Amino acid sequence: MLTKLTGGRLYDPANGVDGEVRDIYIRDGHILDGPPAESPDRTYDLTGKLVMAGAIDLHTHIGGGKVNIARAMLPELQGGKEAASPSGERYSFSPATPSSLATGYRYAQMGYTSCFEPAVLPVNARQAHMEMADAPLLDTGGYAMLGNDDLLLQLMSEGATQEEINDYVAWTLHATQCIGIKVVNPGGINAFKFNTRKLDVDERHPHYPLTPRDIVRTLSRAVAELGMPHPLHVHASNLGVPGNQTSTLATMEAAEGFPVHLTHIQFHSYGTEGDRHFSSAAAEIADAVNRQKNVTIDVGQIMFGQTVTISGDTMRQHANRRFAHPRKWTCMDIECEAGCGVVPFRYRDKNFVNALQWAIGLELFLMIDDPWRVFLTTDHPNGAPFTSYPHLIRLLTDKGFRNDQLARIHPDAAAMSRLTGLDREYSLYEIAIMTRAAPARILGLTDRGHLGPGALADITVYHERPDAEQTFGSPMLVFKRGEVVVEEGQVSRTFSGATQVVRPDYDRGIERRIGDWFDRYHSVRMGNFRISDQEMAEGIGSPVQVHPCRPRGSA
Amino acid sequence: MWSSEAKSANSVLTCPFCGLGCDDLSVELSEQGTKVDARGCGLAARSFSEALGGTFPSAAIRGQPAPLEQVLDHSAALLRGASAPLFAGLATDVNGMRATLELAERCSATLDHLNGDALFRNLLVLQEHGWLTGTFAEVRNRADLILVVGTECFERFPRLPERLLYPSDALFSPPRERHFVLIGPWADQQTPVELPKSQTTVLPVDLKDLAGLMGILRGLLAKRPLQAGGFAGIATDRLADLAERLRRARYSVLVWSAAELDFPHAELTVRALVELVRDLNEETRAAALPLAGSLGDVTANQVCIWQTGYPLRTGFQQGGPRYQPALYRHQDLLSREETDLLLWISALSPAAGPPRTRVPTILLGHPGTAPAGPVEVFIPVGLPGIDHPGHWYRSDAVCPLPLGKVRDSTLLPVAEVLHLLEKRL
Repeated sequence: MLTKLTGGRLYDPANGVDGEVRDIYIRDGHILDGPPAESPDRTYDLTGKLVMAGAIDLHTHIGGGKVNIARAMLPELQGGKEAASPSGERYSFSPATPSSLATGYRYAQMGYTSCFEPAVLPVNARQAHMEMADAPLLDTGGYAMLGNDDLLLQLMSEGATQEEINDYVAWTLHATQCIGIKVVNPGGINAFKFNTRKLDVDERHPHYPLTPRDIVRTLSRAVAELGMPHPLHVHASNLGVPGNQTSTLATMEAAEGFPVHLTHIQFHSYGTEGDRHFSSAAAEIADAVNRQKNVTIDVGQIMFGQTVTISGDTMRQHANRRFAHPRKWTCMDIECEAGCGVVPFRYRDKNFVNALQWAIGLELFLMIDDPWRVFLTTDHPNGAPFTSYPHLIRLLTDKGFRNDQLARIHPDAAAMSRLTGLDREYSLYEIAIMTRAAPARILGLTDRGHLGPGALADITVYHERPDAEQTFGSPMLVFKRGEVVVEEGQVSRTFSGATQVVRPDYDRGIERRIGDWFDRYHSVRMGNFRISDQEMAEGIGSPVQVHPCRPRGSA
Repeated sequence: MWSSEAKSANSVLTCPFCGLGCDDLSVELSEQGTKVDARGCGLAARSFSEALGGTFPSAAIRGQPAPLEQVLDHSAALLRGASAPLFAGLATDVNGMRATLELAERCSATLDHLNGDALFRNLLVLQEHGWLTGTFAEVRNRADLILVVGTECFERFPRLPERLLYPSDALFSPPRERHFVLIGPWADQQTPVELPKSQTTVLPVDLKDLAGLMGILRGLLAKRPLQAGGFAGIATDRLADLAERLRRARYSVLVWSAAELDFPHAELTVRALVELVRDLNEETRAAALPLAGSLGDVTANQVCIWQTGYPLRTGFQQGGPRYQPALYRHQDLLSREETDLLLWISALSPAAGPPRTRVPTILLGHPGTAPAGPVEVFIPVGLPGIDHPGHWYRSDAVCPLPLGKVRDSTLLPVAEVLHLLEKRL
């Protein structure tokens, strides 16, 4: 079957294409190199339409135990049926806590075709993959959490070599079928189990002779030396704490030049100025990102309204329990690996702190120069549900609209923000970088995020409307692997995606050390911890697709 | 390990017969048949031998053996004809539950687990207040003061002392320095032999006084005065001593099994347990460990939550899923005859057959099931972890374990039977 998309205006930054009218030919789920000899079986006339690769979300909490705890705890957020699935209505829809089915359909309806769960607890990896397998129409992947697990901290404390650490990190990736490594509040989640309530970047852990800085340095180096495409994904220390810009800057330094991705950096860009001792440090953080080319970030923009915060960071989530809305919260210490905390939250535009958080996120978007190093996220659902992306795109591309919104927030917050002075408007090309080309590149996914020959035919076609929120909110067509899955906002067919993984080499000798640990302290056997390819395909329902790493040691 | 091949000798095996999900059992294949080393667990030994020694009965309609095709056709006709079917039992693995949800949507069915009452004693507290919990490895390695509520945890979860409370080795809390407090209706100090007497305190108390006791402890922790007469037969100095232990502990743990708290509004007792844990965490560290998961309640609930957004006691009668924890109790739906067809799924235990009811019943059951009353249809199904691979959640809901396969059998997995039924609708 040969499909031709003709007349569309292409935004394909990976191939330097900025709004040129070009035809695309698709066969067997892939984009062809130029027009083939035979005539197409199907032709779509896309004259006047915008064509981009399927969007990629590199940080969205869509699967795993803590997401399910949020759903279980908050049935009142579910909003009745949503008649958008082709097969029926077997889901209700809560933007903050969508079911797996709703997650797949709603993402597809916005033109997203690949999504990555950033906090896979290794022992819970099966559940994360099972939930993502049940999110239709999406290819998915996860980042395994390390850096609060007692095994790593023990290895580091005992003076294990970097090579041994690297082997352990690689083993974890294989065992959990993940594509990246994440560290959340380095050492802090673990310290909370020892009743420590705050851990600064250079503060010693209460049990291990280590600091968060040591953990970030060791893990960012491990990820680089293993040749993994995605840098260490870091949720820095002191999330949400006024004045945390200092620890954020220290965390960037801790990577010592190795690639590092600081996630939801909005929550880590706070100063202590002003009467309320809470201010924006977006300028300082943006300046640091602009200078340090090894650093990438995603923003974690907040939007006003009800959501739920879901995090591995028990230390900070427990501290934030008094802000819970509605008034209930859950925390969990998990398996000598990490933890999780679920705190529902309502961001209010008339609340000074919330209003300033909103402005800080936008300041960061507008002050960081290189769109290849900043990613469009709300840290779904922590800053806002992913369904607010079209609104966020409008805020970034339309200064007039942005200023109108600014006029509605708490006036003191508006007055403290630099937003009025920021004239930048993102172009469609830059939006395509942030949501397609750059996430594909930073995850090492050469088969997607672009429209060049050989790419997966994951393609989104938009009507160009005067209002970017409308444009991006309801694509005309979404193709997944060359098949139309969404037409004019309606899901028209469904199928399951695949799990994206990387597999750096490692020395199997490390399994003796890990196996001994499991036998002595863990609650499962090492053999049961590890997820096989067969299990992924047959049992979990999401076959793996392996992406290459650079050769080990080439960092 | 996940395996669609039958296990070879001595390979590790995961036990699906209680919420501890022990995965260190081993299996031996010999000429005498398959033998499982249950690591000293009577429940596992009994359940495995029951499963492995049983015969494979034929599918049947009203007790008369019939070919599977015919039984499936008949069942599909019943499902097509039903206007308010109830899918209950739900003792199955992850893929069995996935298939159950798919079929439930097609048939506009309502869902509840056979352990629904116990499940909801905890769940209602989570939904009203939230909680702070720990998992098995945390308790094993970190707990220095463990309060076990009720007397039945040790029977329901036989390897609890060995695996979690008093292990041979631990990272942070030496087992020989731990203290155990058994709070419940213990008669004549008959405590479990696996726990060292010198490290164990028994506080005999009626289950219905637990909530009051937790309130007293919270009061003492908040330095409120206590009446000289003690509480529920426990002397004041013993209460003060326990409060002091809780205050001093580095990581205390409260363990309970909601199934044992079988009295009206027991969720208020669970809430009291949870509130004590919360209060403790203001100053020190503590965690709750609600034990559950036997017969797959945690498994069924997890899958239902992620696929529909709601826990069990959800129904598809009105199009999309509707969550009605107060209305969709399966016992009530049956006794009020608010359902016209019961599909009872119970792949794990021969004792967990469908309740006696006048509502026509399709039973997808363990081959040894002896139902309480006559059933319209019986389709014997395989046991996950014995007849087919699967996934299974233990109590702490964080760790879905892969179940392997012990033998080749003709028994179909629940998921496959349900898919065959769906194709016929």
